[in-house]
Amino acid sequence: MTRARFLLLLAAGLILGGCARKTPTLNLLVWEGYADPSFVRAFEEKYHCKVFASYMGSSDELVAKLRGGSASTYDVISPSSDVATSIANAGLVAPLDLSKIPSYNELTTRLREMPLVRWNGQVYGVPFTWGPNPLLYDTSMFGSPPQSWNVFWDPKYRGKISVWDDLSTVYMAAQVLGYDRPNPAAIYNLSDPQLEAVKSKLLELKPNVRKIWSTGGELTNLFQNHEVVAAMGWPLMTNQLRKLNFPIGETIPAENTTGWIDHLMITAASKNKDLAYKFLEYMVQAETQKKLTDVTGYIPANPGAARFMTADEKKNLHLDQVDEYQKHIYFWQNVPRRAKYNEIWNEVKAAQ
Amino acid sequence: MFSRAYKSAITLPPLFWVATFLLTPYALLFCYSFWSVSPAQIIVRQWNLENYRELLRVSMYPAVLLRSMRIAASVTALALLLGYPLAYYLSVHAGTRKHLLYQLVVIPLWVSYLVRAYAWKTILGSDGVLNTLLQYFHITHHPLGFLLYSPFAVVLTLTHIYTPFVFLPIYASLEHIPRRLVEASQDLGAPPLETFWRVILPLSIPGVLAGATFAFVLSLGDFLAPLLLGGPSGVMISNVVVSLFGAAYNWPLGSAISFCMLLLVVALLFLTERLEKRWSFS
Repeated sequence: MTRARFLLLLAAGLILGGCARKTPTLNLLVWEGYADPSFVRAFEEKYHCKVFASYMGSSDELVAKLRGGSASTYDVISPSSDVATSIANAGLVAPLDLSKIPSYNELTTRLREMPLVRWNGQVYGVPFTWGPNPLLYDTSMFGSPPQSWNVFWDPKYRGKISVWDDLSTVYMAAQVLGYDRPNPAAIYNLSDPQLEAVKSKLLELKPNVRKIWSTGGELTNLFQNHEVVAAMGWPLMTNQLRKLNFPIGETIPAENTTGWIDHLMITAASKNKDLAYKFLEYMVQAETQKKLTDVTGYIPANPGAARFMTADEKKNLHLDQVDEYQKHIYFWQNVPRRAKYNEIWNEVKAAQ
Repeated sequence: MFSRAYKSAITLPPLFWVATFLLTPYALLFCYSFWSVSPAQIIVRQWNLENYRELLRVSMYPAVLLRSMRIAASVTALALLLGYPLAYYLSVHAGTRKHLLYQLVVIPLWVSYLVRAYAWKTILGSDGVLNTLLQYFHITHHPLGFLLYSPFAVVLTLTHIYTPFVFLPIYASLEHIPRRLVEASQDLGAPPLETFWRVILPLSIPGVLAGATFAFVLSLGDFLAPLLLGGPSGVMISNVVVSLFGAAYNWPLGSAISFCMLLLVVALLFLTERLEKRWSFS
């Protein structure tokens, strides 16, 4: 092929591609699992649109992307309870007209009433699912579920542990050091000496860490390839590994763990707000919520989802004893000194 | 000879290119490195030296830079050890197979960097090709952990990736050595080793310097290999920069590090250019 012909074809392709983009599109920047084809495809068919999803590896990555100028690239985001407030306050997302989301009223009252995404009398986000950051372990390597996060520091597991590239690892070390007692919220407000102690504790952990994971898929692979035997993860990975018949166990150790309440928000710069509202409504409908839990193993914000579940499914999601389960989860909060926390975490990551 | 209009027409596009895609970004980077981030995570355009002070205050930054330079130096040394003999063989002994071998060295350059990095992952992993073989032949009983997610894996991968970059300039400089000089040396009774040592090697130094510079500078700034294969102890300076521009959202500090790196690389290029000139054959 001559170069001229190639260029001509390329130009034709670009023009055709430009015309074909008439179908409305919705761009998501969400956690892994929130744009699974098992429920997104039905939405695409119903509204004759295309949903494109990008995934974030940590809350800070989401904030950095929005701050760094990509706020107008995405229509819908799914921040967790740690950064939802600051994103709403910063004007990066649009206040919601709840009349366009009829199923909002079906959501658990406690989640709706949280002050997290309320500001100046307006609501900026729809809570749609929550869950813990549990300890995942390879059951073929452990006789019984590990009782404590301290197992990560056990010399027996040198080079066999993975932790998340997220502040949750900092919180976990703070819990191991007992800074969550008597007030769990203290781990989100650590003092300088406490942060120094957390840093030393995490540096002690480094010889045991094989890889610091930054996407859900990465941790799943680390388990599958037998690179690691225990890690902090998400119920999503437990779900995925079980589907692959991998002997994975999930537990919340004695020190408890951190967790999150994820909210759907529409960016202020979105040009597809109507479609975005339809997506929010679709995502919190009871039936979608059931499909969402099938994929992720997270707890639905719409209790109506239980109607579509078997007794076993309800038990696995702890829906039979939600209050008891929540006692073991310290939901992520706004961290006033987030930059300092990030600095500590970066130093830990870069150390030898 | 050429009209003034022609001359300016021919210089403007490259000038425009350099100004838009090189000078402006570097100038912006330089400005950012003197700004700061407010507690509310907004970049404040207030001129100060805080970022550079931070680099000196936190021992992690110089430590990671030193580690990166160590890794880059190892890669350069290994790539030279592999690339020079290969180039020498191709230039002097390969004969008719020269072109085939040359293609074989160059072809991997057309394969995506990511694919090659992932390939090493499947070779070096705990369940990987190498560990499976070692255990099959009872050389070890447990998978060797240091093979993957370690500085070793980073050095190995970068050496694999950058050896062609070292090979090419050395090969070019060997090809340019006039045969008559080699023949003269032989006619005057020098044994092969002395001919190599006193004629060929000195004349190929510009190629060696160019190749070494490529390998060192490119591996110093690499972030994919340490990200994919480095593990917790193999973090390099670019990973720190990526993290500062990403999750940590501290563009000013990231710019300060980048600017220091830029100075380092420019100094290095300056130095090697001087050396190349000194050794070049005229």
